[in-house]
Amino acid sequence: MYFAGVDIGSTMTKVLLTDKSGNLLSTIKGPTGPEHRQLANEVMRQALQEASLQIDDISYIVATGYGRLNVPFADRQITELSCHARGVSSLFPNARTAIDIGGQDAKCMKIDKGRLTSFVMNDKCAAGTGRFLEVTATALGIKLADMGEISLKATKKIQISNLCTIFAQQEVVALLSRGEDLENIVAGLHDALASRIAALARRLGIEPDLVLTGGVAKNTGMVKAMKESLGCEILVPEEPLITGALGAAILAKEIYMKAAAAGEALPTRPRRLEKATFFSEEHQ
Amino acid sequence: MSDKNKGLDKAREIYLDSSRRAKELKAAGKKIIGYPCAYVPLEMLTALDLVPYRTCGDMKEPVTEADRALPHSFCPVMRNCLDCALKGKNDFLDGMVAIHSCDPQEKTARIWESYTHYPYFHFIDMPITVRPEALEYFKGQLTDFRKTLEAFTGKKLSPDKLETAIKSHNHQRALVRELYELTKPSPPRISGTEIIQVVRALTSLPVGEGNDLLIETISEVKKRTAGPEKKSARLLIWSSTLDDTDITQVFEAKANVVMNESCGGIRAYRGNVKLTADPLEGLADYYLNEITCARTFRQATLGETSKDYARDLQSRFGYLKGIIRDWKVNGAIMLLVRYCDPFAFEMPSLKDYFDRIGVPSAYIEYDYTTGALAPLRTRVEAFLETISQ
Repeated sequence: MYFAGVDIGSTMTKVLLTDKSGNLLSTIKGPTGPEHRQLANEVMRQALQEASLQIDDISYIVATGYGRLNVPFADRQITELSCHARGVSSLFPNARTAIDIGGQDAKCMKIDKGRLTSFVMNDKCAAGTGRFLEVTATALGIKLADMGEISLKATKKIQISNLCTIFAQQEVVALLSRGEDLENIVAGLHDALASRIAALARRLGIEPDLVLTGGVAKNTGMVKAMKESLGCEILVPEEPLITGALGAAILAKEIYMKAAAAGEALPTRPRRLEKATFFSEEHQ
Repeated sequence: MSDKNKGLDKAREIYLDSSRRAKELKAAGKKIIGYPCAYVPLEMLTALDLVPYRTCGDMKEPVTEADRALPHSFCPVMRNCLDCALKGKNDFLDGMVAIHSCDPQEKTARIWESYTHYPYFHFIDMPITVRPEALEYFKGQLTDFRKTLEAFTGKKLSPDKLETAIKSHNHQRALVRELYELTKPSPPRISGTEIIQVVRALTSLPVGEGNDLLIETISEVKKRTAGPEKKSARLLIWSSTLDDTDITQVFEAKANVVMNESCGGIRAYRGNVKLTADPLEGLADYYLNEITCARTFRQATLGETSKDYARDLQSRFGYLKGIIRDWKVNGAIMLLVRYCDPFAFEMPSLKDYFDRIGVPSAYIEYDYTTGALAPLRTRVEAFLETISQ
């Protein structure tokens, strides 16, 4: 008996397979990209290969993330908010608040007994998301992956006044040409993003333990800036990208087991790894 | 409009092409008067045989022309309405009645007036509080409105005619409430999406035709066997404007919208205009005091706003408690149209009120376009997941 969680985020696609005891068999991550959004099957194929499984071996599949409707072989769609909450609390049973900063949005979630109880999300724009760092890294001519380390070398505080991703890009270029040091600018960017997300989290109310996930949680400079902005300890999973897919796989198992225990038939989708189109029937 | 169409089909047709009937009536010699907001006393138009026509926006239409006149960070509903007007979609109108129900409407009215050339234009300055002096002032405004209408039509607006019109519109209000009785069962007999189409049709038709449509629709819905499916949640949506079926369908994919407390739903129909010796008295009282839009500032006790928060909440939102009980609502959506300050300011207090009466609620924002339905869907579904565990 095997279960799968498929998390198609705006930037990264994550697939995670577990057995019935919840052991991780494989996790595959790939960039979502315009084409990959239609190719959830490809990431799934890799994950199956790594676990030496066939698609028919999977008892139940839950898809999550913005692309959750583009997974034709998924049996059920659950939002990434519920999935992150579930994934985070399986890794950190005492977690009460989770903050996930992804490529397209930032989410703050309250968790009780492993379940999502309330949430807030950023406005529908790139301010306060991973894209903010991505775009400004390009403007500064540095790699996104190096930003955290660079920011830790900062010697002074620089205030980035623009939270709009597009205007911040112009602002950092202006700061560079004014002769400001790169590391100070990068640290300023981290502080700006952290303060915005901390404000969002305060709207919801922060209760410890607090867990930070999403691609941005891999950035050590960002974790430091978030700690300063929130004024509390932050836990980060070893692999912060996969909590959504992990939660999806756990929920897949729970839904399947609950139906089995009640003797109910659980409808599943055909186990065909086919290319999804943007105009599948669910998408109309 | 063919007779074989039943009420719901007719409503859908009018929803999709809301100005068609108004244009037919115009060709037959009627005068059509536009209005952008539920606060314009339509009875005064009806009494003079003018056809009221609500100038709605079109969420699928990208705003381009309105950029000439209005800033970007501004009520998207008014931007969209004005955009449609500037693109000539309302050129068939014989006149327009604008009202100071909120600041964006007041600012847009000036621009609307200067950029368009309808034979008649009137602006009603509506007070923002429910104090007795405000009511007096508003009555004066309605007296001025009567004067310009009489000058425009060359007819006298007699109390008798006005009373007849009030009775027709009260009948319409009663019929809409009867329609909303049909969302009380589980599953509801009519969907929130269908009701949006009916309400849009009502605001695009003369009152008599609207009443016929309602009677037909109610009898059709009562008889039909195939209604909406039962979903996991029964939602109340509280908003300034929810008048688009694409947005409602995002909610109705996973829930039943049993109450739409916005001006695309029940808001303009919840009460009746009282018949008073001077009919303007009853109209002023109804439009100022009875319509529950966040644009009006309501105090628990005159002159005291902060002494007793619980009583203050009760006076502002108490009417929702009965709706929640009678319609068995188990989730409330506080749906904000972006940049709508009057509603945005109410959200924290309304959240407190929902918490106190034990109804789970979610604050969700949309920008009055159908461009970003995926983020909206995620927020709606996540909320439904929290309440249906």
